[in-house]
Amino acid sequence: MIQNRPRPLREFDQIYMKAADMVFQSELVSRWADGSKLAFLGDGDSISVSVAYLKARGIVDRGPATITVFDFDERMVGAINRFADREGLQEILYAVLYNCLDPVPVTLKFDRFYTNPPWGASNGGESVKVFVERGMELVHFDGEGLVVIADRDDDLPWTADVLANVQEFASSKGFYVSCLMPGLHSYHLDDNPELRSCNLMLRSRPGNGREVTSHAVRDPDRLRNFYGEGVAPAVRYIRERHRVDYGKALDIEYQLELWAEA
Amino acid sequence: MIEHVDEGDAILYMKIGTHATEPLDDIIARKKQEISDAGFSMWGYGGNTCHPRTTVQPFASSHAAEGRVIRLLMQPMHSNHFADPVPADEYSVDGLRWLPVPAGIEVRGSRFALCIRNLEQVHWKLPLEATRVAIGNCRGRRGSLYIKGRVDKACLEVVGSYDLESVSSAGPVAEIGLVAELIKPYSVLLRSDQE
Repeated sequence: MIQNRPRPLREFDQIYMKAADMVFQSELVSRWADGSKLAFLGDGDSISVSVAYLKARGIVDRGPATITVFDFDERMVGAINRFADREGLQEILYAVLYNCLDPVPVTLKFDRFYTNPPWGASNGGESVKVFVERGMELVHFDGEGLVVIADRDDDLPWTADVLANVQEFASSKGFYVSCLMPGLHSYHLDDNPELRSCNLMLRSRPGNGREVTSHAVRDPDRLRNFYGEGVAPAVRYIRERHRVDYGKALDIEYQLELWAEA
Repeated sequence: MIEHVDEGDAILYMKIGTHATEPLDDIIARKKQEISDAGFSMWGYGGNTCHPRTTVQPFASSHAAEGRVIRLLMQPMHSNHFADPVPADEYSVDGLRWLPVPAGIEVRGSRFALCIRNLEQVHWKLPLEATRVAIGNCRGRRGSLYIKGRVDKACLEVVGSYDLESVSSAGPVAEIGLVAELIKPYSVLLRSDQE
């Protein structure tokens, strides 16, 4: 599953979770979302693939009924769908190209959402809120969400600010924090390998479900520091350069030197 | 380059040494010649901590808007860097539009490059405790806690006010041997024709 992940693009905050934590997280998600229709808002980590695969192989005995991944990176979408095809998981696992700044397809209705978004160090968690709001829309404000964000670090005040802001935002949308699991996951993050993320689990209040009208996010104030200070999202999709030899070594990596003729 | 720094001044700190099998002295001579010929040069680098678009450009732009000089302070180290000395053919400010690397400038074995002028050899000291990370996930962390392990470069802000030529500190001090001024667009992405 790790080999199936495209190489991360750091400028889009694609920073991958470490393998041992992926195992823990996947097992947890398989229990948390057992029997449900689960939507992933972005999934560079490949937790979606791991959850589907662990269940299909009988390594865990529970798991979501279906998993739909929404990601703006066509490399991710392609990698997930190719994996699903290869392993016979097409009925369970499916990925679609989607940018969270666009409206969600509200004709779909999911039971739960999962997201590990850009952590909002430079925007007080605004980028987290955008992803969480999309998740809420996909469950029609009636369901549960699992949000993976930076855990509190006493050296880094922004972490506590983001946690507080996201919880406040969730509350304003009719959700409450049903569980917070601190200090869980570590990442391939060169300059802060100690930084951990937590699982922030949200659940809607009774009667919170509603008709959903989803709008594009275009407010410059929300977007100004989306991918870091001064870095607004200019890219709608990361498009995959399609190859006939997908998964094989790139031919620009090597050349062949032949034996001299006798 | 003025050695006095004040609270909030911008410093891009990096450790340097042999790069793409080219000894540091040769690199310095080549870069000085490029500045003499072309008016500026590109200093190649790599790693994940100082990405041009998401880190260096916003860091430098915001401090330049306050009227500050963006200093590049480099600490020579003994190092081996075995990257292939493949020259970059094109550079890009935003990763979308690519232009040929200007004539007279050559950057070897690097994914990124800083745009510099006024390259000087100095004997300065940078007290890393009197700096803080200026941007990113670790914003606010002391430079002395941030620069460790595989982290060998950082966008920093000065804490306090001191002369880099004569500063004393009980904490870790980086011996700065080479300085330059960053100029717009501050940092760029590079690629070769093979990509």
